[in-house]
Amino acid sequence: MLVVDRVQRSFGPVVAVRNVSFQCDRGGVLGLLGPNGAGKTTTMRMILGIYPPDSGSITWNGKPIDRIVRKRFGYLPEERGLYAKMKVRDQIAYFGRLHGMPEFDALKRADVWLERLDIVQYAKRPCGELSKGNQQKVQLACAVLHEPELLVLDEPFSGLDPVNAQIMLDCINLLRAEGTTFVLSSHQMWQIEYACDGFCIIGQGEVRAAGTLAELRLAFPSRTVRIAPDLPEIRAVFRERGHGEPLNDADGTLRYDLPAATDFGALLRAAVNAGPLESFDREEPSLNQIYVRALDGTAQQERAA
Amino acid sequence: MNEIAIVFSVEFMRKVRSRIFLLATLAGVFSIGVMVMIPTFITHVAKSSADYIILAGPEPLRARVATLLQRHHDFHIVYQTDQLPQPMSLSYLEEHQKAAAAVLVSERNKRLHLDVYPRDAAVFDEVQFRNLIPLNVELATGATAAQTENVTRIDRSLHPLEKRFADAHSATFARGIAFGLVFVLYFAIIIASQSVMSAVAEEKTSRIAEILVATISPINLLTGKTLAAAGLAILQIAIWVAGAALVLPHSIFTAGAEATGGAASASDSLGSGASAAAATGPNLIDPGVLVAFALFFVFGYLQYATLYAAAASLISRTEDLGMVTTPVILPVVGAFFIAQYALVEPDAPFAVIASFVPFISPFVMFTRIAISVVPVWQIVLAILLNAFLVAACFYVAGKIYRIGMLLYGKLPTPKQVWNALRA
Repeated sequence: MLVVDRVQRSFGPVVAVRNVSFQCDRGGVLGLLGPNGAGKTTTMRMILGIYPPDSGSITWNGKPIDRIVRKRFGYLPEERGLYAKMKVRDQIAYFGRLHGMPEFDALKRADVWLERLDIVQYAKRPCGELSKGNQQKVQLACAVLHEPELLVLDEPFSGLDPVNAQIMLDCINLLRAEGTTFVLSSHQMWQIEYACDGFCIIGQGEVRAAGTLAELRLAFPSRTVRIAPDLPEIRAVFRERGHGEPLNDADGTLRYDLPAATDFGALLRAAVNAGPLESFDREEPSLNQIYVRALDGTAQQERAA
Repeated sequence: MNEIAIVFSVEFMRKVRSRIFLLATLAGVFSIGVMVMIPTFITHVAKSSADYIILAGPEPLRARVATLLQRHHDFHIVYQTDQLPQPMSLSYLEEHQKAAAAVLVSERNKRLHLDVYPRDAAVFDEVQFRNLIPLNVELATGATAAQTENVTRIDRSLHPLEKRFADAHSATFARGIAFGLVFVLYFAIIIASQSVMSAVAEEKTSRIAEILVATISPINLLTGKTLAAAGLAILQIAIWVAGAALVLPHSIFTAGAEATGGAASASDSLGSGASAAAATGPNLIDPGVLVAFALFFVFGYLQYATLYAAAASLISRTEDLGMVTTPVILPVVGAFFIAQYALVEPDAPFAVIASFVPFISPFVMFTRIAISVVPVWQIVLAILLNAFLVAACFYVAGKIYRIGMLLYGKLPTPKQVWNALRA
């Protein structure tokens, strides 16, 4: 299990990460969310031991992350690079060897991943000659060749077309099934929402929200209700209960953002009694809504300050 | 297999298989071949026409002059005759292998007289005919050639106090070898250091650095790369030397043989000094000098390569390489020039002090070892100082490298670099 406990890291006068804590169970996938400059990459680099934290601790299976432990981690940074003139198979095997694999095993595993990622035909080509999508596949192979216990992926879907993004997602699922633990960051909410089973939203170097999607939804203060048709009697029901006027919607439905503690059963019954009701949907907040709200809170605090 | 060995082997093989290495190596062999051939070319082609002369005059005076002029290869006599045409013309010189001059010898008032008709008056002066002085004595006194030579010969006994070189020729030979090796040292350090620099810049600009430093220790990465470049440089130098060896027997070794022959003939007049010269044997490179070369190459290379690597880790674009190269290339150039001074004055206080100054020491101490007798304590001190400096360079460069490899954007300020060093 990965445990990040109140870590802090500054660069000169700038505090990049402030008291960040989260944990990720073995075999789990943790999504690290936040805008650019929030401190995600710095946090990931601290997990990988590239930067030591100024304070706080990071442990893997209860032990501090030293050089031996680090060998069992894999990393795909946001800014990716390859040796342009090195051949694809040699490059993948090189990174495997750097992680402690014997050369023979590294080459054998490289062949497996070349096959799996459908780039076997480029095995003897210099990396610089490959398309960007194929280069990203090579980079993924470099990161996973040694079957890491923890795989840190910084924006793994960045720059990928839908087909290659799906290949990346399939690989994550495959490795997850084999027991690999993931920490990944992404701006593609729809992908990360289905890929992760835990989230940590960071803004301005601080944790704004953390937990499973269910926990985050439970903590979300409002719910959206969509009602059709748009009848004055139904609007009156909401007005009488102090919910005011609906939010604008162009599709002829009524949309209200209501407090999470609202008695939605009573509201539904009142709406049914008020007129011919076609639909009454209570929507759970999406990850995107949770993300925006968590960071909007940060923005509001900043404005207030 | 440890990290350094993996980085070393992969880096070494990657570079050695590259086309640029093959081209650079072949170009080096070609250049050395050309450099080695130039003196031979000058001797046999370029120099010849300037030394060609036509010798005229009555026998046996002309024969005696020819013998004396050719003894020390001062002139190559292309044509001999009793008389020169009058008036003399340039076309006459042209007709005889474009000779540089025609010389008419005669005896006047029991003295040798020369009428010289040169193509260029500035080329011929009195000094060039100094070897004819014995003939002047013969004409003035009526002595035989053997008697004259016996009188004009200076007996000389050489008693070298430092025992390093038995004669002047050995010392000159050693100086020539030292000059050549300092030159090789300079180029090998520059080339190998820049190889490390470009490798680091490649990893930095292509963003592989982040994966690498997340996987292995930056110091191990730096060490592996530095050693790989050193191995590559040594391989390249070995190929160059092997290539040069194919050409050398026709030039330097021939020159050495001629010189040895010259020394043997000179030994006739050296008296007891001849035994010392004979003890030295043929002019071969002192193995101790080669050991010193290898040792100080390693010291110098590691000092400069680590600095180059640290400098390269600070740039974000390859276009910025020039900016960071300049400050680190200046000490190498300076050290090379100071070594040139040490070649002339190896035991001057300035050279002695310079042989302990960081970054300059590898050049100057090696030069002094190659041509002088350096006290053992100075050699030991220089080795210790250089070893310490190498360790310090790795420490400092490792710190800058670790931080620099993850810095992108504009070049870091000196304050940021200082903070990195203190971290």
